[in-house]
Amino acid sequence: MSRYETNVVLYRLKKDEAFRDRFRAEPRSALAGADLTDEEREAFVRWDARKLNELGGSLHLLISIPGLSSH
Amino acid sequence: MPPTLPWGTLGAREDMGRIVYAAAMSHVLYPDYYGQNVGPHGRRMVEELIAVVREMGRSLAATAPDALVVIADDHLNVFSFDAVPALCVRVGRSVNRMIQPDAIEFDRALDGLPERYPVHEDLANSILEKGVQAGFDFAASWSAPLDHAFLSPVSTLYGDRLVPPLVPFWVNCFVTPQPTAKRCFEAGRHIGRVVAEGPWKVAVIATGGLSHFPELSLARIGQSDPVFDRRIVKLMEAADHAALTALTAKELHESGSHELLNWIVLLGAVSPARARVGFYGEMGRVDLAALEWDVA
Repeated sequence: MSRYETNVVLYRLKKDEAFRDRFRAEPRSALAGADLTDEEREAFVRWDARKLNELGGSLHLLISIPGLSSH
Repeated sequence: MPPTLPWGTLGAREDMGRIVYAAAMSHVLYPDYYGQNVGPHGRRMVEELIAVVREMGRSLAATAPDALVVIADDHLNVFSFDAVPALCVRVGRSVNRMIQPDAIEFDRALDGLPERYPVHEDLANSILEKGVQAGFDFAASWSAPLDHAFLSPVSTLYGDRLVPPLVPFWVNCFVTPQPTAKRCFEAGRHIGRVVAEGPWKVAVIATGGLSHFPELSLARIGQSDPVFDRRIVKLMEAADHAALTALTAKELHESGSHELLNWIVLLGAVSPARARVGFYGEMGRVDLAALEWDVA
């Protein structure tokens, strides 16, 4: 349902170094303002890339986030 | 004695626009990437492909094109989910190489390349404006930079030679819903018509593929679909463009052939030309290819 928001967060993690640093330090806090379902939010917090991909997260974003890429 | 047409008896004016070279190729031409992710046989295979693409570059440069149209896709490097153009023409006077700190390895491989390339503004504007007049709602970008999908093939083809003015053309290959294969072919036909109406000698390349990342599934990275790829290459050799434009989004998605849409734009531009295979290799993670079309 919030595929758009999931990918907006992924895109921001890829492009925004300060946001990425905040996410790596305090993922739950960094995502506080994001319009995610509980399932999506938990997948981000655990950094479960496969789950994020199954939930509609773009493969190309998931493999290209510096320090978090999964391939 | 038969009357002589003003432009000679062969039916083609010297100042008439034409496509002088056409080719398509995989676009991660970076041995380290395959060495790390596939192993020595992946490295060797892409090195063989690179050698073929360099040879193709000599043929391309010999045609001395006024412009090089490059049909490729965005990997969520340029366009965000705020707006994803189905088909986009890069206009403006110049285009920058994408610079992104900590970029994925095959984009970092572009680091030593020139930071700016000229755009063939007149051809780009013609494709855009005549396209809109003809019913193609192309997006236009004045600022989108180029990632490996464009510059890995261009830099391999041209090496140290001067790159001609570019017309970058993006196809949305990865964000559902993508344009249809039929629509991509029609867009290519349009590019071919614009070239024919203009005064320029134009080279066209399409990049990407062959099959990889089936279903865009992280769990299926490492798989390709060689049966599908063999069929596609045979269809291109046979110039069976009806079969290629009949490919469905489902077929492209399941086989990991999303980037074939770029190639199908090129097919529209060169149809009914047949392809010649310069390289074909089944790596496992991705199948690699480089084809040229007989357009002369």
